[in-house]
Amino acid sequence: MVMINNKVKIKTTNLNVYYGDKQALNDVNLEIHSKEVTALIGPSGCGKSTYIRCINRMNDVIDICRVTGSIEIDGNEINKKEIDVVSLREKIGMVFQKPNPFPKSIYDNVSYGPNIHGLAENKVKMDEIVETSLKKAALWNEVKDRLNEPGTSLSGGQQQRLCIARAISVNPEVILMDEPCSALDPIATAKIEELMDELKKSYTIVIVTHSMSQAVRVSQRTGFFHLGKLIEVDTTEKIFKNPNNKMTQDYITGRFG
Amino acid sequence: MNKDQLLKKRYRAEKRFKFYGLVSITLAILFVIFLVNVIFSKGRAAFQRTTIAVEVNFNTEELELSSNASIEEIQDADFYDLSINSLLKLYKTEGAKQEKELLRVFSPDHDIEIKNFLIKNLDNLNKNVIVNLTTSDDIDQLHKGNYPRHLPEERRRISDFQLLIYDQLVKENKVNKVFNTFFFTNGDSRNPEVAGIGGSLFGSFFTIIITLILSFPIAIFASIYLEEFAPKNRITDFIEININNLAAVPSIVFGLLGLGILLGTFDLPRSTPLVAGITLSLMTLPRIIIPCRASLKAVPPSIREGALAVGASKVQSVMHHVVPLSIPGTLSGTIIGLAQALGETAPLILIGMVAFVVDIPATPIDPSASLPVQVYLWSEQAERGFVEKTSATIMVLLSFLIVMNFIAVYLRQKFEKKWS
Ligand SMILES: Nc1ncnc2c1ncn2[C@@H]1O[C@H](COP(=O)(O)OP(=O)(O)OP(=O)(O)O)[C@@H](O)[C@H]1O
Ligand SMILES: [Mg+2]
Repeated sequence: MVMINNKVKIKTTNLNVYYGDKQALNDVNLEIHSKEVTALIGPSGCGKSTYIRCINRMNDVIDICRVTGSIEIDGNEINKKEIDVVSLREKIGMVFQKPNPFPKSIYDNVSYGPNIHGLAENKVKMDEIVETSLKKAALWNEVKDRLNEPGTSLSGGQQQRLCIARAISVNPEVILMDEPCSALDPIATAKIEELMDELKKSYTIVIVTHSMSQAVRVSQRTGFFHLGKLIEVDTTEKIFKNPNNKMTQDYITGRFG
Repeated sequence: MNKDQLLKKRYRAEKRFKFYGLVSITLAILFVIFLVNVIFSKGRAAFQRTTIAVEVNFNTEELELSSNASIEEIQDADFYDLSINSLLKLYKTEGAKQEKELLRVFSPDHDIEIKNFLIKNLDNLNKNVIVNLTTSDDIDQLHKGNYPRHLPEERRRISDFQLLIYDQLVKENKVNKVFNTFFFTNGDSRNPEVAGIGGSLFGSFFTIIITLILSFPIAIFASIYLEEFAPKNRITDFIEININNLAAVPSIVFGLLGLGILLGTFDLPRSTPLVAGITLSLMTLPRIIIPCRASLKAVPPSIREGALAVGASKVQSVMHHVVPLSIPGTLSGTIIGLAQALGETAPLILIGMVAFVVDIPATPIDPSASLPVQVYLWSEQAERGFVEKTSATIMVLLSFLIVMNFIAVYLRQKFEKKWS
């Protein structure tokens, strides 16, 4: 039996998101608990990415996107103008669905965040941050001899792990991962899952995944989205063993989606 | 039609398409070769100058100089008599008419040439030296084989007596062709044999520098702001449309603007690179902003999001990631915009850069010519010497443009190679 923590880290109430006239999320009420992994599942286009992009206000950069409703982090409303998105995003790291390393060296990719936030006083400290971040992302052994090569020269899966290293380099409180393992082989996937297990001791993790088995393996809580609505959210055990909703049941058993 | 026929049809269509492409490229190359050939065959001769070796005795007494005269003293001295005497010794003449004809074999400023020779070679004072003096344009053309000497005398500008002199001098091996440094160092002149593009080179240089200084930073910041920071609304749409329209406005309109506002309202000095530079900046601005914005737009949004997601501010994400990635496009856009400005003629004519300027400008507020306008000015002259100088100037202008375009291509490749 997994320990379920009850402290709520992120809470969205009546969250609605529109892209222009099109509504992508419809009254989503979801609580994400501190120091555990929450998995978001659902068919393609149901709004999972849209949801996690609300949490670090990444939807701000899309001109046509409008977000209404409340998003609270540690009880503080963040869906309002006065919030400083820079310090918010420092606390809430994100790994995107498509790997997007900077066209800079591997080292610079990881050191960029710590650098702009002044997390390392000197080069030695920075080297240390880069090394531990890459190690945590299970990439260190593959790149330790070529830290000066461009990050874009890595393979797709390596690039994704580089992006994970980049996200954890600034020690965020929450890590949002949008299908982080979709381009990874089983070994790398296992390493990332191990990493999540490790990270959840101190961080809150939200992961979007299309792999039911991965959701079962890594998450303590699972939310099922369908057509912009949150259909059901509960402990992973409950969702996968005995869901309340018929649609959830159909989806996890592969009968639709 | 069965599958086989379809396949054959597709292959035929591909071959046809390739053929059209090859034909158009061949035509384009033929035109370029034709153009270059015309310009080159006409302009080549301008890089050579005909000279005649003349013995000059730099006698200090005759020049009324002290035996160890300083450069300043020599500058002030009158070399005219010395020069005339040296030239008349070349060939035996009878009467004032023949003397005059002998002198006309040379370019009118022979005394200045002799003076300049002495200034460069001070130790020749009180010595007998051979100086190579520039011939007149007609003799220059005669020596280059372009003069119709078979015409009857009354239809030539070169008299029979001058032909006699010329033939004699050629026999004595005194007529030479040398590389025409005057073409690059002299300013404009009424005498084609000594006219040069020195003045217009400097004029164009100052103009382009001013254009660069004014338009580059403004264009860069305008495009970064419009592309990355400006809200997308009606006002920015309106600005965008207008920038595109401005880029299509005929350049002569900018010339009118310069004439009316810079010369009229602000009373800036006429015919100067300063005014030309400001006018051309106005014209170049939109032409730089458009490629700059395009190269900023080409940076994938995921890079911006990646930076924002680790907590970079908007400015940081733009300055650290987007702008560096857009450098190749930005630089090549700027260089091509400047190359266009360098070749621009119409607006410069309107702001008075067509004036006949002999002096080489020392500052951007001295009256000056510019390369394309020099081409325009000389192309109106009938003398063969100006005709070849027109083509030679075009060659110089074209080589500048080619070099600039090569730099643009090089920069683009260099910066792009780095990360892909
Ligand atoms: N930038 C955008 N502009 C307009 N519509 C968008 C944009 N991004 C997403 N959408 C729309 O919002 C809806 C939800 O998209 P979202 O990317 O959140 O789906 P998803 O659940 O992450 O799907 P997937 O599993 O395929 O990644 C989709 O219908 C999509 O078309
Ligand atoms: Mg998605």
